[in-house]
Amino acid sequence: MDRRTVLKTGLTVAGTLAMPAYLRAQSNKKLSILTWNIADQEALFKEEFEEFKKANPGVEIEWLDKKGPDLPAFYQTQLVAGTAPDVIDIQGALWVEWAANGALLDLTPYFQNDPAFVKLFNPDYMSSFVYEKKNYLVPFYVAKTLLYYNKTMFKEAGLAAPPRTFDELLSFSQTMSNGEKTGFLTLNFDWLYWPLMKMNGIELLTPDNKKPAFNTPAAAALLDRLAKSTAAGAINKIAWTGRWVEPNGAFASGTVGMLQAHSASYFFVKGQGRWINPDTLGATQAPGDWSTPTNHGFGISKSSKNPELAFALVKHMTSVKLATRLAQIRRVLTANTEADKAGLESVKSDDPLAYAVLQTQLEHTDKMTGNWPLANDAQIKEAFWPEFQNAVLGRKEAKTALADAERAVTRVLRRS
Amino acid sequence: MSVTAMDSSVARSRFTERRSTRKAVLIWSFLAPSLVIFLLYRILPLAWNVLLSFEAWSPLKPAVFIGFDNYREMFQDDDVFWQALWNTLGIIASAPLGIAIALGLALLVNSNIRGRDVYRTLIFLSYPLMTVAVAIIWRWMFDERVGLINYVARSLHLTDQPIPFLNSFTWALPCVIAANIWQMLGFYMIIILTGLQTIPGNLYEAAEIDGANSFRRFLRITLPLLRPSLFLCFVIGMLNSVTSFDLIYVMTNGGPGHATEILVTYIYKLAFNQTRFDYAAAITVVFFLLLLAVTWGANRLSGGNVGAVEYD
Repeated sequence: MDRRTVLKTGLTVAGTLAMPAYLRAQSNKKLSILTWNIADQEALFKEEFEEFKKANPGVEIEWLDKKGPDLPAFYQTQLVAGTAPDVIDIQGALWVEWAANGALLDLTPYFQNDPAFVKLFNPDYMSSFVYEKKNYLVPFYVAKTLLYYNKTMFKEAGLAAPPRTFDELLSFSQTMSNGEKTGFLTLNFDWLYWPLMKMNGIELLTPDNKKPAFNTPAAAALLDRLAKSTAAGAINKIAWTGRWVEPNGAFASGTVGMLQAHSASYFFVKGQGRWINPDTLGATQAPGDWSTPTNHGFGISKSSKNPELAFALVKHMTSVKLATRLAQIRRVLTANTEADKAGLESVKSDDPLAYAVLQTQLEHTDKMTGNWPLANDAQIKEAFWPEFQNAVLGRKEAKTALADAERAVTRVLRRS
Repeated sequence: MSVTAMDSSVARSRFTERRSTRKAVLIWSFLAPSLVIFLLYRILPLAWNVLLSFEAWSPLKPAVFIGFDNYREMFQDDDVFWQALWNTLGIIASAPLGIAIALGLALLVNSNIRGRDVYRTLIFLSYPLMTVAVAIIWRWMFDERVGLINYVARSLHLTDQPIPFLNSFTWALPCVIAANIWQMLGFYMIIILTGLQTIPGNLYEAAEIDGANSFRRFLRITLPLLRPSLFLCFVIGMLNSVTSFDLIYVMTNGGPGHATEILVTYIYKLAFNQTRFDYAAAITVVFFLLLLAVTWGANRLSGGNVGAVEYD
């Protein structure tokens, strides 16, 4: 063996050893999968990976799980490094930006080749993963907003049923507010407050998504009303200042009449509020049946060396079998129709309230809003929200806030 | 001069030259690993960051040179940048407050009070705590429903309604500053205490004989001789304040709105939440220049020798 061969061999061995494990997993017949804060399902995942490996001999799977705030930053650094995981679980609208920038694989041809697989899913949830007529994700688990209401506070205020209009929502909130008690709260991240706008006919952008459409007299009037209700204590200020723990925690304390939040909030609220049972907590659609989804879906990185295999893994991870188990164990809906039916059935007797909550997630799926496929969603959100917040907290005149928001959003749209 | 003497002089100078060359090589050999690391992890990223600030770039798009567009946007259109800048300066300005409190505490635990070692330990304990832990502790302390501060305020009938400290545009920044000061207090105190103990006792005795009261002794002896310690505290406190990413990230995440946003949290959000690495790079350049200016100012105020090596 000459010196050059020895050097080459040495460098190859050193390079292989130095390479991160999951980068090695990108080599032939190896898959890497990145999930979003679901490490609690380790046993289920490992079992399913083993099954997938049995069905696909010689395949190796590298699984990584990251917490919500860490995952986007991690995925972006991996994209830059050219080492993106083959399969990725993405939440919210993050996927649109990555799809628009060419990071995700267009799954449309795979769907066309396998119509039976597509038919497994609720078409409304499925269509929420379409950007420029191309499919990018397969639903993993899904959620959308609903209206929780404190039946005890309703009874004390002499209110017989939850509000069916926006006007009722505000007047009921006012009726229930008293001292420490407030009438209404909403989660505000990821456009979760947008149903309030939609039920008043306000749109964020023009239909072609090119220009802002929200700066209207109706929007200014609405923001004024929200500001007045907030100042009067009908709407809890946390609706506009808290994120997840604060609004859910406030509702769990039993001093807030209504909470607009997604189905995941139920488990948080139930864990904190001892008062919660089917007689004291109600779950229904928000007025106008509008809701904002916060879905999780599996996508495939365009850089994957094994896209076919990666799609097979996505199919496995969203199959009726696994989706059913996930729905039953985690008490979530998966948009896989058969799995959700089985999941709901198992929840029905164990936790009737959870059943009622989850049931709302399958109704009016055609009336979802706030899920625009915008490649610059995060930037638009950041341009709009601070001004909206200023208006509803009375820090700025509604008209001025909307004009400022319009300028900021226009800048973002122009930049893109 | 004889030929032999000249030869000997040349040989001596060559020997000295060789020795100094060898010494220089040795010094550079020792310095090289650190310099390489410094170059790779500090200078090159900094240079690339400056370059990036003049480009439009995102991870999956090729870079396009756009001149000063990012800077123009920052200074003309971006209200959040200005708010983050003022908040950052506000936090920097809070460092002297912490140092003043620490000075008072250091004077207290430097006196002959009973149990002073216990007090010293108790005050210092906040410093070794992880910043994330400090942030979580204070988040709970300020909590609207179960927080100790609201509980005390309501028990003393100072307020009827619980105050949402960290969700209030008025209170959030002062609360974050309070937590930051609390964490640094122990560190400041130890530095100042060390400074106090190096002041010769005979200076106080002489001043006392001359009739100086305790306030004048503090003003004329303690403060001037503590100047190096105080400036060290200020420089470290200032650097700690402007980079207190973790404290703010955990306590408020820059909110409500952008009420507690500082430049570092804003840079992070722009890069990783909005995928605007180019614009984040431009703000980083401004942030870097701000840090340079503040450090230079602090160094000048301290006599221009902070961090200098003293030779005996």
